Amino acid sequence: MSAVIQPDTVPAKAAASREASGARLAVRRFLRNRLAVVGLAVVVLFFLFCFAGPLVYSTDQTHTMLQQVNLAPSGSHWLGTDAVGHDELGRLMYGGKVSLVVGLAAGVLATVIGTLWGAAAGYAGGWIDAVMMRIVDAGIAIPALFILLVVSAITTPGLAGLVLILGLVSWLVPSRLVRAETLTLKNRDYVLTLRAIGGTHARAILRHILPNSVSTVIVAATFQVADAILLVAYVSYLGMGVRPPQTDWGGMLSAGLTAAYSGYWWLILPPGLAIILVVWAFNAIGDGLRDAFDVRGRG
Amino acid sequence: MSTSSYLIRRVLQAVAVIVIVTIVVFGLLHALPGGPARGILGPQATAQQIARFNHEQGLDKSLPVQYFYYLGQLLHGDLGTSYTLNEPVSQLITERLPKTLVLTVLSALVGLVLAVPLGMWQAVRRNKAADYVITTLSFIAYSTPVYFLGLILVLVFSQQLAWFPSQAPQGETLGQVFSDPQALVLPVVAGAASMVAVFSRYMRSATLENLSEDYVRTARAGGSRPGAILWRHVFRNSLTPVVAMLGYYVPVLFGGALVVEQLFNYPGMGLLFWTAAQSSDYPVLLGCVLVIAVATVTGTLLADIVQRIIDPRVKAGRA
Amino acid sequence: MTATTKGPAARTAASGPILELDDLGVVFTTETGEVPAVKGVCLQVRPGETLALVGESGSGKSTIALAAMGLLAANARATGSAVIAGTQIVGAPESGLAALRGKTVSMVFQEPATALDPLTRIGKQIAEVIRNHREVSAKDAAAEAVELLRRVGIPEPGKRARAYPFQLSGGQRQRVVIAMAIANEPGLLIADEPTTALDVTVQAEILDLLRRLAAETGTGVLLVTHNMGVVADFADRVAVMYRGEIVETGPVEDVLLRPAHDYTRRLLAAVPRLSVAAVADGTGRPPATARARTGGPAAGPSTPPPGSGAPGDRTPDRPAGGSAAGSAAGPVANRVAEPVVKLRDVSVVFGRGKAAVRALGGVSFRVEPAQTLGLVGESGSGKSTAARVALGLIPPTSGTVSLFGADLARTRARARRALRAGIGVVLQDPVASLDARMTVGECVAEPLRIHRRDLSAKDRQAKVAAVLDRVRLPREVARRAPRELSGGQRQRVSLARALVLEPRLLVADEPTSALDVSVQEAVLEVITELQGDLGFACLFVSHDLAVVQHFAQRVVVMRAGRIEEQGPTGTTLLHPETDYTRRLLAAVPVPDPVVQRGRRAERLATLAAGRTEAQA
Repeated sequence: MSAVIQPDTVPAKAAASREASGARLAVRRFLRNRLAVVGLAVVVLFFLFCFAGPLVYSTDQTHTMLQQVNLAPSGSHWLGTDAVGHDELGRLMYGGKVSLVVGLAAGVLATVIGTLWGAAAGYAGGWIDAVMMRIVDAGIAIPALFILLVVSAITTPGLAGLVLILGLVSWLVPSRLVRAETLTLKNRDYVLTLRAIGGTHARAILRHILPNSVSTVIVAATFQVADAILLVAYVSYLGMGVRPPQTDWGGMLSAGLTAAYSGYWWLILPPGLAIILVVWAFNAIGDGLRDAFDVRGRG
Repeated sequence: MSTSSYLIRRVLQAVAVIVIVTIVVFGLLHALPGGPARGILGPQATAQQIARFNHEQGLDKSLPVQYFYYLGQLLHGDLGTSYTLNEPVSQLITERLPKTLVLTVLSALVGLVLAVPLGMWQAVRRNKAADYVITTLSFIAYSTPVYFLGLILVLVFSQQLAWFPSQAPQGETLGQVFSDPQALVLPVVAGAASMVAVFSRYMRSATLENLSEDYVRTARAGGSRPGAILWRHVFRNSLTPVVAMLGYYVPVLFGGALVVEQLFNYPGMGLLFWTAAQSSDYPVLLGCVLVIAVATVTGTLLADIVQRIIDPRVKAGRA
Repeated sequence: MTATTKGPAARTAASGPILELDDLGVVFTTETGEVPAVKGVCLQVRPGETLALVGESGSGKSTIALAAMGLLAANARATGSAVIAGTQIVGAPESGLAALRGKTVSMVFQEPATALDPLTRIGKQIAEVIRNHREVSAKDAAAEAVELLRRVGIPEPGKRARAYPFQLSGGQRQRVVIAMAIANEPGLLIADEPTTALDVTVQAEILDLLRRLAAETGTGVLLVTHNMGVVADFADRVAVMYRGEIVETGPVEDVLLRPAHDYTRRLLAAVPRLSVAAVADGTGRPPATARARTGGPAAGPSTPPPGSGAPGDRTPDRPAGGSAAGSAAGPVANRVAEPVVKLRDVSVVFGRGKAAVRALGGVSFRVEPAQTLGLVGESGSGKSTAARVALGLIPPTSGTVSLFGADLARTRARARRALRAGIGVVLQDPVASLDARMTVGECVAEPLRIHRRDLSAKDRQAKVAAVLDRVRLPREVARRAPRELSGGQRQRVSLARALVLEPRLLVADEPTSALDVSVQEAVLEVITELQGDLGFACLFVSHDLAVVQHFAQRVVVMRAGRIEEQGPTGTTLLHPETDYTRRLLAAVPVPDPVVQRGRRAERLATLAAGRTEAQA
């Protein structure tokens, strides 16, 4: 390489030490986003609260105890009791499990459906893409709450059914994101090269397009979980939530709505704030991840 | 692409979307356990009663036949008759849709008027304390279920401070609705909150993106002051993608209206839908879904056309 | 015009330099620490003078230009001193800088596509610069903007002033940016790679325009460029930058013809030079010097060679170098063998109905075994589309494509896939060509995984190691991620991937145009050498006529989707038959100021002659 002037090799070494790992860089960027770190902490704390909390603060959440209904917060019931005598703090943990698990599952399910749909549409292109995206448009045109209310008029699903329905009404946004990503990726030079030398479509999708969409998908999933937890809260409000004695934060909130006018603030503020905090936290995490991965997504 | 051929293509797309919606709605109608008949005649109905009902309503024909019959009705503006109110669904919706539109349009306007300057301001003050505070607040606004927010608003501003009534205006006509503007305040605020959150985020990222564009550097190199650049160039360029997003936000606005109307007892389409859901009044439910889908598709179409007007590149099919 | 009478502040102080940098340094604060980009730079630009700041990517030349304007990014910090017409720029407040920018100093940027606000009419954007500095009514400013558009050579300026940037071509947009830059007749114009994004013929026009405007108003110009031809064409003096420092400064003829610094010598030696014959159309008699000088591609100038070692380092040992002209007969003898790729009467139409765009029309060419065919043309000429048709990525709308003798349209999918094992591909973008999620080794092994599934992991690794040796990369890079490599190294990884199956055809679409000249030379050298060893044919797409001349035996000149002419490189690029090719060749600036001066005069004379002919 007689004629090779230094710049060819020098930046290589510099680059090697400078950006040793893209993942590490992303982690560092994420950690520098204060809101995102706070969000992460909030999510971890809420999971601990809901799943480990009952071990420390054990309460009876199955039997009605009419001798202690609507008690104000006190030393024995830190957050008071509800209309059937359940301890409100314990109920917050109990209902939180459902909210978190259903939200997480539905968010992930929506992302998976959306990713597959969007990747297929984007890669196929042409009329297949057009038809698939018109279906997405149609889905977006009907607000999820309306569909959920219609469904609730028809049936009251169990937990798994709830996850399925929520997943089915909220996969549309991630599908649009992933489709856009796929459209860019399928025209990347390495995919064109692969096709020119005889690589299969399966290889292009599985080895190149999906792995490179991972960051977009992760960011979309985070926002999707936030939305799903919020949606779970609406679902209970619409009257198709989990059945008593089971509950979730949305259920607690809507059960407390009537009591609120009687001044029983402890029946609505704790579940309301729990929903806001957790949804806020997932949004903050998503925002931080998006900046860290440097992907486009929802504003 | 010329404007007319673009319009034709967009309208065809919109029609395709609406056809898909009708199929979904029709499918839902028939997913009912025991069909629509069981829903309206109640669980005590005998098999004979159901069969007679099905025959009267044309529900014993094959699905495709029923679908085309249904489509034909739709084209004549016939959305069926409410099971419980015994009125044509189309008439019920015509009475209430304008009120819902008033609510949503007011919410959207209030939301945008707040969100756009807020987002720009955040972009300019990026990563400063104010940016963090507003970001946190918008996420909170976004994360709050509308019914919880509405409840807090009523508790604070209606019960405690008694500034605004806790019920929305109850008039039958639009004029009556507007005659009581005080009563509109809380519903509109509840409807606008998440809009402010979402669109200030959009505006913030669009502005940030534009601030790093080459043309900003060109303008600076020509001696333009930061304020002038922001106002003359960045603002308009950032607004274009936000307008496009507006189209996709229409369904969210309607979703919000559903809850807000129920909460504040506002006699719009959302409340109609809500009561219909309580009584399994399927013709009303599905009619509303259809009308809202059409409204959404129209909204998206309008947003596209507005974007075309303010961005000459879109007109040339380049963006 | 008021501006002319007022005159810029600079002219009054004509004696001193309009720009003076003294010990200028720039440090970037990045996520990984502080990175010095510019260190201790001292230079001056006097009124009426053009100083070219040259260097390769990352040398800090553009950073200096931005620092002089006070336009550095927020994460950059300038130290030392940068004085424009008596005003210190380093550390000046934004308000003070705004008063200076567009009035005393202006800037022309590299990317005309993005330099203008897409939503504001161009007349208004020019008027904005005028009204930033002068109390002029909106109406007068608009009229002045039209006048400026006329001065920068925009046809129908009154009408065009109402156009949006996207309605103009790249060259016209750059003219608009120039109109904004000269609106207040600044004393200093900073041009940062002003023609890099443009086609060579447009580049020549923009350089002519800048030269004329600077001369008319006595403006000093700081020209930032990587292109030695542009330097030779435009500059009075040259400063050479290397890794943030100036290594050599001097008059253009000294630096380009008698470089003192070792780096300058190596840089110049790596520049591919266009060999030109006398212009055949007889419109102007080319200066004798040009003829003498341009006899050979090694550009052996009559002046002492730029560094004794330099000429020996390059061309002579290249098979397809200076002998391209003479070796044209060689490949012809091979014609008995079947062509590797054959396009016959290929047309490609994108879209349908009124929106249909004809990307290719009636294109026919063939690539013979072991031969290199150069496909040249300006942007939009269809050269890349033609390459993609040859690769089977774009199906032809009409016409036939055969690969290794088989008609692609008639072969079954499986057979077609097998045929493709004989193709290697290298595309332009070093970043986009390699999947960032794979290691270099996985990237190179991918063709083996597709076509040689019988290979064990060990054999595969051995093959990857062997081909990395061939492209002169250390074997260890197989474990690295593509992002850890430089652009030149990445292109060699692409080349390794292309060659790992020992293909019969290499399709290279602008493989070196994103690279610095020195790196380009190394990559081309590797391709040439391996072609000698492995005997593959090569379809080489490039906009760079000099590179094609050195690299290809045959050349196809394309224009607007059609073939303008084709033939042996030596004939077609030395004695072109069509006016278009002649104009294309004449527009290429050569990195020799004396020769280039002659070529420029010749080109302008030809253009003038053409114009009078057209009028007659």
